[in-house]
Amino acid sequence: MTTSTTSTPFREGLFREGPDGPALLAGRCTRCGRVSFPAPDMCLDCRGRELETVELGGEAELLCATTVHMPNRHFPPGHAVGFVVLPGGVRIFTQLRPVEDKPFRSGMPMELEIAPLWREDDADVLAYRFVPA
Amino acid sequence: MHDVVVLGVGQSEFGKFPERGIAEMGGAAARTAIADAGIDPGDLQAAFSSRVYEAMITSQTILKDLGVTGIEMVNVENACAGGSTAVRSLYKDIAAGYVDVGIAIGVESMTTSPVAGKLIPPDRYDLDGQMGLSMPVLFALQAKRLMETHGAKEEDFAQVSVKAHEFGALNPKAQYRKRFTVEEVLGSRMIADPITLLQCCPNTDGAAAVVLASADFARKYTEKPVRITGSSLISGDYDFKRADLTTMPLGVQAAAAAYEQAGIGPEDVDVVELHDAFATEELVHYEDLGLCPRGESVGLLRSGATSLGGRIPVNPSGGLLSLGHPLAASGVRIICELTDQLRGRAGDRQVPGARVGLAQMLGGAATGLDAGAASVHILTV
Repeated sequence: MTTSTTSTPFREGLFREGPDGPALLAGRCTRCGRVSFPAPDMCLDCRGRELETVELGGEAELLCATTVHMPNRHFPPGHAVGFVVLPGGVRIFTQLRPVEDKPFRSGMPMELEIAPLWREDDADVLAYRFVPA
Repeated sequence: MHDVVVLGVGQSEFGKFPERGIAEMGGAAARTAIADAGIDPGDLQAAFSSRVYEAMITSQTILKDLGVTGIEMVNVENACAGGSTAVRSLYKDIAAGYVDVGIAIGVESMTTSPVAGKLIPPDRYDLDGQMGLSMPVLFALQAKRLMETHGAKEEDFAQVSVKAHEFGALNPKAQYRKRFTVEEVLGSRMIADPITLLQCCPNTDGAAAVVLASADFARKYTEKPVRITGSSLISGDYDFKRADLTTMPLGVQAAAAAYEQAGIGPEDVDVVELHDAFATEELVHYEDLGLCPRGESVGLLRSGATSLGGRIPVNPSGGLLSLGHPLAASGVRIICELTDQLRGRAGDRQVPGARVGLAQMLGGAATGLDAGAASVHILTV
């Protein structure tokens, strides 16, 4: 079996990687200011039609975490997931990468990383996950 | 609006029956419900059926074997709330006067479904689903918040399962008629921390059916009708509208609508059947249904009020945890249980003197929503 080094983002428009680190991309309504991730086609709060892309940066706060002991979609038993709260109060579900000596606890600072999380069609799929800072 | 009553109820055997088709299981439930109603199958004027997996003309597939053809048949899906959706759809048609009598059926073959033995995921292309969200994961994370905000302990979650199995042991129709201790529940295999295997509903095949009729039609068949006095179905709202994961606003909205229609409050309810696919979520539903003030669900559980012999027993059937959870069947099955309770024929698990029952179902998950659907029905004698 040959292993390709090709990698492809999980979906377009979810995140970007730059020299100053990775950032999640969200949509901000120009009328009411609601910030949504992933960026919707229209504002889900006021139904405004104009949204601008904003970067949510790479820092977040852990709300809650669990370890899943069954295989689930792309992930083997023993993977960690949770909800994190991004700047501006946006709460998202995400994969988590455990770090020794930094057990998950509510309120701890987390850092975004973009990593190959699974393989599809002979390519690494790049997606977002959070790691204790 | 016409008054609507539950005229007959039926439940098939619940368990693992991969060799049984939906016509066999649905037929067993439908025949029982029709016989219980005392009507002829030919009296049925409409049928609403629900199934989540591999659904196609479910009503017709079941009812053709009962001699029921040439009437309006509708097949609906709303995840775990699908059965409740079928009941409500029929309820509305009778209340509006389109038909006088009809049947609602929920059926599921979980052991032959694509999710047999797996964690139930959202839609294939759902963002959070791709990222690893599934139903037990969602409820495990909600449970983690309950531990932070409500002081819930792992033993409390286990107690919900212990309670369900104490009831289930008394129900001849339950898939599992076995009692467990808190230690046994906590000692079972971990699925998604803090949810262990015995805090998850099992894979269940089975069906349930109810015959509903207008009060005028029913008069000929019963002197003590079980009336549907409240019925609601609400879709999920945006997750950003709730402060935390420990409430499900669609559930609050569904309860409020049903209470308002019935002209009662939670203090008037004698017995409750609700969605306990995972033990932990029962605490959230206590608060969302108004069975206790916000923040006091752990205290309500610990007081024993929702247990066997308590002030307001919850899931006397054994619930999804013990009775079993054939997804689309459950929303119909809870109407069956409450009807039996209000008729005083629930056997060893009878809630003494029950006059008002509340049936709640919750279904589905999608990125950005608190859940897919919530439904509440209030039954009164």
